[in-house]
Amino acid sequence: MQNVTRIYALSKRNVILRYKSSLIGFFWGFFKPLLYLFIFIVIFSSQFNSINNYILYATSGLIFWFFFANVTNQSIANIVGSSGIIKSLSIPSIFFPLSDMISELFNLVLTLFVFVILMHWFGIIYSLKLLLIIPAALLFGLFSLGITLILSSLNVFFRDIGIVWGTVQPALFYLTPIAYPESLIPPHYKFIIKCNPIYYYISLARGIFYDATVPPAHLWLLCGVMAIFMYAVGLVIFNKLKNQFISAI
Amino acid sequence: MVSTQDDLIILKDVSVSYWQNNVGVHSIKDLVVQRKNPFQSKTILQNISLTVKKGESLGMLGRNGCGKSTLLRTIAGIIKPQTGTVEVKGTFAPILAIGAGLEAELNGYENISLLLSLYGTNKKNGDPLGNIREFSELTDEVLRMPVKRYSSGMVARLAFSISLANEADILIIDEVLAVGDQGFQAKCMEKIYQIKKEGKTILFVSHFPDAVQQICDKAVLLENGSIVENGNVEYVCNKYSQLF
Repeated sequence: MQNVTRIYALSKRNVILRYKSSLIGFFWGFFKPLLYLFIFIVIFSSQFNSINNYILYATSGLIFWFFFANVTNQSIANIVGSSGIIKSLSIPSIFFPLSDMISELFNLVLTLFVFVILMHWFGIIYSLKLLLIIPAALLFGLFSLGITLILSSLNVFFRDIGIVWGTVQPALFYLTPIAYPESLIPPHYKFIIKCNPIYYYISLARGIFYDATVPPAHLWLLCGVMAIFMYAVGLVIFNKLKNQFISAI
Repeated sequence: MVSTQDDLIILKDVSVSYWQNNVGVHSIKDLVVQRKNPFQSKTILQNISLTVKKGESLGMLGRNGCGKSTLLRTIAGIIKPQTGTVEVKGTFAPILAIGAGLEAELNGYENISLLLSLYGTNKKNGDPLGNIREFSELTDEVLRMPVKRYSSGMVARLAFSISLANEADILIIDEVLAVGDQGFQAKCMEKIYQIKKEGKTILFVSHFPDAVQQICDKAVLLENGSIVENGNVEYVCNKYSQLF
């Protein structure tokens, strides 16, 4: 119970620090995807008239993508940035990436809520199936946490990680069919997309929102296995390095 | 060393080493050419054995960089030793050495609430916020300002007041008194005496032998990560003064 309070306090701190001196603060959480959406509509929607209902198609992918991008970007610097707390209090270091994940998950829930209402005008079909987004978001959260554990612990020792991630991440964005239709990719390059784990989570979200179907069991299974695997790998690396964090921050 | 019921802190053969990571382009060259591991281990503390009884006050003296802060952090459980065991029967107040641990961008109130929750202070038990305000003598206006705008004395006031608010069994004081003004220093000393009278344990790091002699019963002198003197406070303080 005490640990819950601590993680909550850290999440609150993350949110306060991030939006310090910003006018609309926390609301950037959903204004940012909205701005991107606007750019996509202007640039792509006339190009991709093969997709019917482009707005719904793009948003359903964008929201999940932003969750991933925010979690990783925020927590890469979080351990280094929390050196004061780490050096003066004995709290498990895993609370730092965990608190980032939780504050972003909270943000995601809010964004999804606004999105589901907004998409009323863009052809979303309301049904109980939409609730499937909750387990999907949790699986994606676990997967993102795994990636975050690896990135944030390595970044303590090699600050290059943060810089490299800043360029790898946009590349990943364009490697995932979020703004463009999957059919755009030539068949013999499809394997690149298939190697990208984020593609499957985006498919999950898109299946629920855009296709309004229950995503097939094998997709759920794949996403679940990838999430657990990533989390396990992340945890092993993080635990190996955590005792030496203090020597490098 | 036989541990008795009264021993609050027991350290046995504790050694702590850090990775000295001087990562850079040169380390890639070293790794390739000389097969040199970029992560060299550097020993900070060597075979430290120490017991502190309940109600005892221990002073820690030594040159800059001799490992005093590392020893405090090891006792507080922030650093896990590579070898040896640390056994502590009690709770700690956070070590807010001259304001480290305070978040510069957050204001006073936000820092107080963050640190109290992280530390797990029971808010039903008394009024920690009121106590902090009263002890630190910081006005409401000051507490609404981000800590980065505080003077170093104000930071010390806030940090010390927060660590006092936790009602912990063991109080760690790491050079907090150096920056406060005369009035606050006197107030702190008085408070420390009071805490000592309540039978709590104090670990006190300072570069002023006089202050150490006032507060502590026993003291240790650290040199290059090992305890070279351990015993009566006058004796150790004398040895410390002879270092320079």
